[in-house]
Amino acid sequence: MISAPDVVAFTKEEEYEEEPYNEPALPEEYSVPLFPFSSQGANPWSKLSGAKFSRDFILISEFSEQVGPQPLLTIPNDTKVFGTFDLNYFSLRIMSVDYQASFVGHPPGSAYPKLNFVEDSKVVLGDSKEGAFAYVHHLTLYDLEARGFVRPFCMAYISADQHKIMQQFQELSAEFSKASECLKTGNRKAFAGELEKKLKDLDYTRTVLHTETEIQKKANDKGFYSSQAIEKANELASVEKSIIEHQDLLKQIRSYPHRKLKGSALCSGETEHTQDQTSQAATTSHPDESADTDLYTCRPAYTPKLIKAKSTKCFDKKLKTLEELCDTEYFTQTLAQLSHIEHMFRGDLCYLLTSQIDRALLKQQHITNFLFEDFVEVDSRVAEKQESVPPKPGPGRPPSRSLEECLIPQVLISVGSYKSSVESVPIKMEQELGDEEYKEADVAEMSSFDPQENLDYLDMDMKGSISSGESIEVLGTEKSTAVLPESDSQASLTVPLSPQVVRSKAVSHRTISEDSIEVLSTCPSEALIPEDFKASYPSAINEEESYADDSEGAIHFQASVCAPELGEAEEGGLETPPSQIDSSCCIGKESDSLRVPLSTPAHTPSDQDGVVSIPPQRYRQKDQGFHVDFVVENANPLRDSSSEGFPADELDPSHLLASRDVSKTSLDNYSDSASNMSSLASTSSDRTPSSAHPTGPSSERHKKRAGQNALKFIRQYPFAHPAIYSLLSGRTLVVLGEDEAIVRKLVTALSIFVPNHSRYAKPVKHWVSSPLHITDFQRWKLIGLQRVAAPAGAGTLHALSRYSRYTSVLDLDNKALRCPLYRGALVPRLADHRTQIKRGSTYYLHVQSMLTQLCSKAFLYTFCHHLHLPAHDKETEEVVAGRQASFLKLTLGLVNEDIKVVQYLAELLKLRYAQDAPGTGHPMLRFDYVPSFLYKI
Amino acid sequence: MSNLCPPPSPAVAKTEIALSGESPLLAATFAYWDNILGPRVRHIWAPKTEQLLLSDGEITFLANHTLNGEILRNAESGAIDVKFFVLSEKGVIIVSLIFDGNWNGDRSTYGLSIILPQTELSFYLPLHRVCVDRLTHIIRKGRIWMHKERQENVQKIVLEGTERMEDQGQSIIPMLTGEVIPVMELLSSMKSHSVPEEIDIADTVLNDDDIGDSCHEGFLLNAISSHLQTCGCSVVVGSSAEKVNKIVRTLCLFLTPAERKCSRLCEAESSFKYESGLFVQGLLKDSTGSFVLPFRQVMYAPYPTTHIDVDVNTVKQMPPCHEHIYNQRRYMRSELTAFWRATSEEDMAQDTIICTDESFTPDLNIFQDVLHRDTLVKAFLDQVFHLKPGLSLRSTFLAQFLLVLHRKALTLIKYIEDDTQKGKKPFKSLRNLKIDLDLTAEGDLNIIMALAEKIKPGLHSFIFGRPFYTSVQERDVLMTF
Repeated sequence: MISAPDVVAFTKEEEYEEEPYNEPALPEEYSVPLFPFSSQGANPWSKLSGAKFSRDFILISEFSEQVGPQPLLTIPNDTKVFGTFDLNYFSLRIMSVDYQASFVGHPPGSAYPKLNFVEDSKVVLGDSKEGAFAYVHHLTLYDLEARGFVRPFCMAYISADQHKIMQQFQELSAEFSKASECLKTGNRKAFAGELEKKLKDLDYTRTVLHTETEIQKKANDKGFYSSQAIEKANELASVEKSIIEHQDLLKQIRSYPHRKLKGSALCSGETEHTQDQTSQAATTSHPDESADTDLYTCRPAYTPKLIKAKSTKCFDKKLKTLEELCDTEYFTQTLAQLSHIEHMFRGDLCYLLTSQIDRALLKQQHITNFLFEDFVEVDSRVAEKQESVPPKPGPGRPPSRSLEECLIPQVLISVGSYKSSVESVPIKMEQELGDEEYKEADVAEMSSFDPQENLDYLDMDMKGSISSGESIEVLGTEKSTAVLPESDSQASLTVPLSPQVVRSKAVSHRTISEDSIEVLSTCPSEALIPEDFKASYPSAINEEESYADDSEGAIHFQASVCAPELGEAEEGGLETPPSQIDSSCCIGKESDSLRVPLSTPAHTPSDQDGVVSIPPQRYRQKDQGFHVDFVVENANPLRDSSSEGFPADELDPSHLLASRDVSKTSLDNYSDSASNMSSLASTSSDRTPSSAHPTGPSSERHKKRAGQNALKFIRQYPFAHPAIYSLLSGRTLVVLGEDEAIVRKLVTALSIFVPNHSRYAKPVKHWVSSPLHITDFQRWKLIGLQRVAAPAGAGTLHALSRYSRYTSVLDLDNKALRCPLYRGALVPRLADHRTQIKRGSTYYLHVQSMLTQLCSKAFLYTFCHHLHLPAHDKETEEVVAGRQASFLKLTLGLVNEDIKVVQYLAELLKLRYAQDAPGTGHPMLRFDYVPSFLYKI
Repeated sequence: MSNLCPPPSPAVAKTEIALSGESPLLAATFAYWDNILGPRVRHIWAPKTEQLLLSDGEITFLANHTLNGEILRNAESGAIDVKFFVLSEKGVIIVSLIFDGNWNGDRSTYGLSIILPQTELSFYLPLHRVCVDRLTHIIRKGRIWMHKERQENVQKIVLEGTERMEDQGQSIIPMLTGEVIPVMELLSSMKSHSVPEEIDIADTVLNDDDIGDSCHEGFLLNAISSHLQTCGCSVVVGSSAEKVNKIVRTLCLFLTPAERKCSRLCEAESSFKYESGLFVQGLLKDSTGSFVLPFRQVMYAPYPTTHIDVDVNTVKQMPPCHEHIYNQRRYMRSELTAFWRATSEEDMAQDTIICTDESFTPDLNIFQDVLHRDTLVKAFLDQVFHLKPGLSLRSTFLAQFLLVLHRKALTLIKYIEDDTQKGKKPFKSLRNLKIDLDLTAEGDLNIIMALAEKIKPGLHSFIFGRPFYTSVQERDVLMTF
C-alpha cells in the first residue's frame, strides 16, 4: 500500500541516533508551524480580526500622472471601517502592478492618436504582513487632458481573508465587471462630450483664425507675409490638424460598442460575460442601435470658446475627478453597484459558501422547497439572473427586489431610478421597514406574508421573571378526555370505557416530566372546562358516537378550494353517508350560517359533488366517523360581518378568553435563561452572515430575531411542544392577547414552524382584531388575535369559542394553551427547552435543518410509489393503509403524533404538486376533532 | 504581442516537457528580482507541442510582470504569497507564488509562476488550491536548498578563492522541475478525466432498483459514510475501470460542483498516479492486483482520505482532520529539517530524502477500519431506494439530504462560534452540542464536522487539536520511560 521509497527512510534508525544535535536547527522561516493555531489567540476566526480594518471594504485608487498612486474613495465611506489601515501604501502596492503593456496614445507610424480599448485586468494579491488581501480590478478611463488620453484606475475589494477572495473570484469578477462597465460607459459618454466641445472650440478657433488671417491678408499690400501672418497660418494649420485628430478620436469612441462586441466572440466566457453586461447596459439604456450614437450626441447647447495656441502644461492643470470623468449619473450608479457588492460579500466566508450551496440545492427541490423556505423561487431567479440573464424586473416580484436585482439597468435609465436602487440596498430597507409595520394590513397584505412587518415588535426585548423550568399545571382537562379521551363533548353521555379509553386515560394522568406539567385533575368536571371550550352543541353527541367508531380518532371537516382533478380523485373516497351528517352539529350549523358570506351554494354535508380533497387514500376511513365536507369559496377574503350574528345563548365567552383576572404579565416580563445572550447576539453584527443575494423580507435580521423569540418561547412555555405540533400538523393556532406588540412578536417567532401553502404566501396573520371567520382558518394557520374587553370584543371571542374545539388557542395574557396532546419525538428535538443554543440566529439554523429533514421524510412518503397504490386489484384499502402506517413507523421512524405531521406535509406536497397554477389556492380546511388539553403555567 | 515585448534575456534556460495528453498549461516560469535589472526570468518550463503556444519573449514578459511591484513586498517572515492575475488583454491567467530567499549570498524576491490561457479560468479555479499547495511545498524545500547552496558557495569561495556563483545558482531548477512536471501532468489528466460538474444519477449506484444490486449494502454504506467523514476525499481502487468509475461518480454526488471538478475518473487502460489534493480519484490496479499509494503524498493531502477497494469491498479511512493535520505537519517539519541537515547532494536527492527527526516516527498504518457508525447516511440509503429510479425523485431526495448536511454543518459552526465567542474561549461542551444538534451518533458528528471543516478550515484543530496534541505529547513522554 505504501510505496517503498517512502518507507525506507524510517528504517534508518542508526542515522537518527547519530543525528548530531549540534547541527543548527531549521530556522522557523523555512519551517511550517506544527499546530495550526500555535500562536496565542489564534483560531479559525482570528484571521478575520488580524487586520487593521474592521471589515471588508472597497477602495478606488488612481495612478495619477501628477502624484502617482493615490486612494480616491472607500465604500463604505466610513473611517471606522478601514481604521488605521494605510490606504496610501496599499494604493501604491495595488497600482504598482503593471497590469497592461498595451500601447495607448500616439503610436509610432500612425497619423493620428489611437484609442486602445483595453480590457480590464483582475489581480488577486495581498500583503501578508498587514493581513490584507485584495481583488483588484484595473480599468482605464479616457480623459482628453490626460497623458495619452488615459487615466488608470482600480477598484479593490479588500478583505482579511485570502481564501474568501479566491473562492469568490468569479463572483467578484462578475460584479466588479458590472461596475467597471458602468464607469466606462459613463466615461465614454463624457469623453465623447468633451471631444464634441473641443471640436466646437476648435471649429470656432479655426473660424476666428481664418477671419484674422483673411483680415491680415487684406491688410497686407506689401506682397509678402509678415511673421505674424505666418504664425497665424501655422496656428490655423495646427488647429486644422487638431480638428481632424479629434474627429478621428470621436469616431473611435463612438465605434466602441460595435468593435467590442465583434471582438467578444473570440474571448473567454468571462470576457463574454463582461461584454454581455456592456451590451445589456447599452441595450437597456438605449433600446435601439441608433441610440448608441445618441449616447454621445445628446448634449445641451454649448458656447464654443477660443483655444489658445499653447495649452497649459500637465502639471499646471487640474485633473478631472472621477465623477467628472464619468457622467454623474453613471458615477452614482457605479457607487450603488459597489455598495451592493460590499453588502453582497460582507461577512464570513462560511456563510457565503453555505448560502451559495443552499441556493444550488434548493433549486433542485422545487417540489418541496415552498414548505419552509421563504420565497425560494424568487431567490433562485435572482441567482440565475446574476449568472447570465439580463436583469429585467419581473412582474410578480416585489418592487424593492426587482430594483435591487436590476440595479444597473434600472439606474442606467435615469437618475431617478438610481435613487430607487440605493433605497433597495437591504440595510436601508431594514431600517425603513420599521416605519411601515404599524400600518393596518390591507387586502393585499393578507395575501402575502411580510415577516418584516414586525421588526419593531421583535426589537422589544423579551424579559421575564419566570424560569423556564418552573412547573406548570394542567388545570383541567375536558371531561370527555377523562372519560372518553377521544372526545371532548358532553359530560352526560355515558359510554362504556373501551381499552382505547383506558389507554388514553393513562395518558391523561401522566406527568409530562420534561415539561413539568402536573395534571391536577382529570375528573370529568364540567366546572373546570372553560365555557368557551365546551362543546355546547347537541351535535356533539353524534360526534361522540361517530367518533367512537372512528379508528382515526378524528373528525374531518373539509372546506376546500375547488380543484376538479383532486375532487374527482376524492369522489370515491369521500362517501360520507348523508345520515351521518348531523345538521345540528356545530359545524353543520356553521355551514348554514356560512352560506351567505361564502357566496357559493355551500354544499350540504351530504353534497359530495365538487368536494375537493386530498389524495384518495388519506381519508378512506373517514366514512366510519363523522365527516363533513363542504366547499368554501376561498376567493372571498373579506370577512363577512354577518357571521357575527350568533344566537344569544352562544355568546358565552370563557374566562380563559376574556377574563383578565390572572396576572397580566407580558412576555417581556419573563425571565429568560438566555436573555443574557441577547446582548451578545447583537455584537455579532459585524460578521453577521449576509446573504449573497439579499432575500428581501426574510432577512438575516428577521431570522435572527424570530429565532431568538422562538427560543425564548420554548424556554418560557413548557407547553411549547404541543403548540409547535399544532402548527406543524396544520391545526390553526390562535395567539390571543391584548397587547399587539407582544402578540405580533410571538406570532412572528412561531411562524418559523408554520409550513407554507405556496411559494407566495405564508399562512400567518399577525394581528386580527375582528371576529374570525371560517375562511380565516383555511387561509391562516397562525393567527394573532386581539383580545378586546367585552362588550366590544364579544363578537371576536365568540367567534373563537365557536371554532375553539378545532383550533389551538394560546392565551398570552393568561399563559394558557389549549390544544391536543403531543407525544412524539420530533418536536422535542426541534424545540428542547434545555438546549444550550445561545443565539436566535443559531436556533433558526437549527430549526431550518430539522425542518429540512422533516420535508425530506414528507417527500419520501408522498412520492414513494408503492405506498399509496394497491399492489394488485384484490388488495384492500386497509392493507394499503397498513402499509403506509408501517412505512411511517418503521422506515421513517415516526412515533405517535409525528405521523400526523408528516401526513399533513405530504398532503401539502400533493396539493402543490397537483396544482396547475402554483400559489393560487389554499389547502383544504380540515378540522381534526381530537381532544384538547388545557395547559397553564 | 511579441513585437511589443522586450527580447528574452539570453540567460533564460528552457525545459520542454513532453506530455501524453492535452496541456492546459502554457508555461511555468521561475523569476527573481535583480537588484540592478529588476525582474528577470531564470527558467521556463513549457509543454512540448508542435504549435507554439507562447513565444519565449511573451513568457518572459509575463513572468517579469508577476514580480512587478514586489519591490514593495511587505510579507511575514518565510511567507509564500500567492498572486493571481487574469490579464484579458493578453488572454492569460497567471498564478504566481512570491517568496523571499537567499541565493548566492543575496536576499532577494522570487516568483514561481504558471501561465494558462484565460479560457481555462473555470477549469483552473477548482484546482487552484491543489496547485498552490504543491508548489508551496516545493518552494519550502527549494528555499532551504538555495540557502544551503549559499553556505556551500561561501565556503568554497573561501577555500578556493574562486567565483562559482553562476554554476551553483542553477541547482534549484531540478528540484522545481521535479514538481512542475507533475503539476503539468495533473492538469493534463484533469483536462481529460475530471468528473463533470453535473453527474447523471443514472450513472451511479443510486440508480439501482434496490440497494445491493451493484454492490453490497454494507459496503456502500461504509463507503459513503467514510467518504463524508473524510471531508469528501476518497481514493477508489479496483481492477475494473467501469466499476471504479461508478463508485467515483456515486461518491461525487455528495460533493459540490466545484469539488467534482477537482475529482478524477479512472483511466480505462493504464492507471494514473495518485495525486495529492484531489477530492475523489479512481485508480486502476496493476496486473498483480495491487496499487501503491505514495505515503508522503497521501499525508500531504489537505484532508484525510478514505481508501475504497471495489474488488474486495473494503473501506479504510485515515484519522480525522485534526490528527491528519498534526501528522502532516510533523512529517513536513521532519522532511524540511532533514533537508536542512543533509550534508551531501545524495542526501538531498528528492526521491531518497525521506526524513524524520529523532522524536517522530510516523504511524505507517494510517488507513484504519471505519469505526464510527452514523445514522444519517444509513437512513438515507434505507430510504432512497424506496423511490422509483429513472425519475428525478432520487436526485431531489439526494439534494434534500445534502441540504440537511450543509445546514447542520453551518449550525454546528455557529454553535461553536457562539459558545467560544468566536474562538476567544475554549470549546468545552461537545456533549451539549451533540444533544442540541441531534448528533449523538459519533458517525453523524464526524460527517457534520468534516463538512464544517471544509467551509470553516481549522475547526477540527480548534476543537480537538489541543487536547489531541497534549495527549500525544503525554503519550510520547510515557513511552520514553
